[in-house]
Amino acid sequence: MRTFTVRRARFIALCLLPGVVFVVLFTYYPMVRGAVIAFQRYNLFDLTSTPFTGLENFRAVLAEDRFWTALRNTGTWVAVSLFFQFFLGFGLALLLRRHFRGRGLYQAWVFFPWAMSGFLIGLLWRWMFNGQFGVVNDLLLKAGLIEERIGFLASPGWAMTSVIVANIWYGVTFFAIMIMAALQSVPGELYEAAAVDGASRLRRFWHVTLPHIRPTLALIVLLRIIWILNFPDLIYAMTGGGPAGSTDIITTFLIQQVIGGDYGRAGAVGLLILALLLAFSIFYLNATRFEKAR
Amino acid sequence: MRNPVLAATAAVVTLMFAGCGSGSSGSPDEIRLRMIESLTGPERTKLIKSLIADFERANPGVTVELISPPLDSADQKITQILQTKKGLDVLEVRDHTAKSFSNNGWLAELPTTGWPGWQDLTELAQKKAVEVGGKAYLIPYGFYQRTLFYRTDFGMTAPPATWQELYEAGRKMTSGDRYGYSFRGGKGGADYAVMMISAYNGDALNPEKSFYLKDKRTIFSTPEATQALDLFVKIFKETSPPDSVSWGYPEMVQGFTSGVTGMLIQDPEVIKTVEESGVTAWSTAPIPKGPTGYAYQPVGYAGWGVTSFSEHPKEAVKLVQFLSEAKQSIAFAKGNSLIPISRQAQSDPQFSQGAWKAYLQAQQDPKQVITIRPVDYPGWSQFLVDSDRDIQALITGKKTTAEVLKAWDTFWVDQAKKVS
Repeated sequence: MRTFTVRRARFIALCLLPGVVFVVLFTYYPMVRGAVIAFQRYNLFDLTSTPFTGLENFRAVLAEDRFWTALRNTGTWVAVSLFFQFFLGFGLALLLRRHFRGRGLYQAWVFFPWAMSGFLIGLLWRWMFNGQFGVVNDLLLKAGLIEERIGFLASPGWAMTSVIVANIWYGVTFFAIMIMAALQSVPGELYEAAAVDGASRLRRFWHVTLPHIRPTLALIVLLRIIWILNFPDLIYAMTGGGPAGSTDIITTFLIQQVIGGDYGRAGAVGLLILALLLAFSIFYLNATRFEKAR
Repeated sequence: MRNPVLAATAAVVTLMFAGCGSGSSGSPDEIRLRMIESLTGPERTKLIKSLIADFERANPGVTVELISPPLDSADQKITQILQTKKGLDVLEVRDHTAKSFSNNGWLAELPTTGWPGWQDLTELAQKKAVEVGGKAYLIPYGFYQRTLFYRTDFGMTAPPATWQELYEAGRKMTSGDRYGYSFRGGKGGADYAVMMISAYNGDALNPEKSFYLKDKRTIFSTPEATQALDLFVKIFKETSPPDSVSWGYPEMVQGFTSGVTGMLIQDPEVIKTVEESGVTAWSTAPIPKGPTGYAYQPVGYAGWGVTSFSEHPKEAVKLVQFLSEAKQSIAFAKGNSLIPISRQAQSDPQFSQGAWKAYLQAQQDPKQVITIRPVDYPGWSQFLVDSDRDIQALITGKKTTAEVLKAWDTFWVDQAKKVS
């Protein structure tokens, strides 16, 4: 019996080994290396001398106005994107839950954006929002909603709105997929029982659906916050963080450090992002756990 | 190995690393070179592949695997590969990566003696090949020199010769949905501001270290720099589409070919694009000058180099030399609308007629000066990122001319201390 257990454990370890090796090599090693670099003078221009400089990179980053601007922009980017993605996604999931002809095809069409690369989506939206040649301006002009073209990516206020609109378009489908899956997990008997008790549709939603899917919602909201914050692709392709840093978020700021060749500073920004997300996740998980316990 | 866990571990690790090796070959006699390009594009990649095929035919037993990463992240990819010091033999080296790549010991010095192709290279090509530390770390494949494109159907009879004239001509053209100038406010926009500031500094500028004057001050510290940058803002505000605050290369060219703008300053590769766009009423001229009659611009270039850790250095050098010889290099320059590196190209009609004439005119004008930018200073890459943001801040009114120039002056004064 004992031999069987040991053999089984070995077999499981063997099966897990390739995965572990990959994760260590391609996730943990770069992560640790990046963390070490954050404490070094690591400029691409001259890698022959990379001395440890303590907290110097962190000091330099925190002293930059651009970092704080990017941090504020990150708050707007995440909060507004998340709000609309969540509610529109929820609405879409409720619609798609119903049975209607061609539902499968419609679902595939709706979920299509999620299968595309963020950078590519950024490029597409960049042309669509182009002030001179973009289709958005053309449509608005033809519809008589505007009298002259809007420089969507040219003015700081419009630029942030434009990248957020593109992000909402992209992320709605994620919420729709996840919420639809959660909705399908609610047992039908609960609805039947509520109907017998004379509960209205709204009360059924509020007292049956929502409590049942709340843990899933809490988790996907957390995941999405992390992903939106770590999603510079779209902004980078659409505006490059401009004009004048008005669409810079903390991760596009990191990319600029890399392009500037200062890997030490980029490492420091990376660690700051990690610390921020870690602190937020702990707070969020504690808050949602408290909610559950109550 | 009797322990199955250990055996499996060894197998997994071996399998994983088997794919990471470099220069591995199918048969013992076959030599496989790995080559990476940086400025990728579908047509260009096709052309390189056809040249590689010619090389493979001329060198049986040698095969070349071309890696073509996406344009936007290519240089970062190349840097990452170079840091591992394996798996790469030939690479595209650009003017702004040459110094850091050689500093870090990633590039091999290429032999120039005993190779007949060297004598066929133009003086400029020879000069740029050894620009970093006097050693040939790359052989350029062509040059990017800017010229002024203008639409003759926009009512312009003669091209503007100065920046002031460009501004005035641009204002005349601007009305309704039509604008005078394809302004670059996005990535690379600061380069145009620097070009104007350089021109306004006139003969006080040191062309060998073009961010500095002959008296060692920076070009950003003078009253002329303020004049230039003020005019730069006026050109944006009064002659260019408001949207051009975020325009990069594709939008600038699209603006010109679609009839939104009447003037454009760009590299020669645009000649081909404009020709193919169907626009017929257009011409080119040398870039505008400053009030003292000087125009300055660096000549952008890139070329082929060999890694210092190549497992097949002899064949890798052979490939670079093959690509740099007259037949191949002229084909490459034609295919990409580049100023060629071969002396033999001077007799080629393509490079002496039509839109190319402006380049010849510029070359013959002693006041159209080719400069050397401080790409070898440690802060160069950082400046490229920061200065573009400063330009956007300037044209959107978030910063003043004085603030931008002060920041740039401080930066380059500091850089000068680091280098000396």
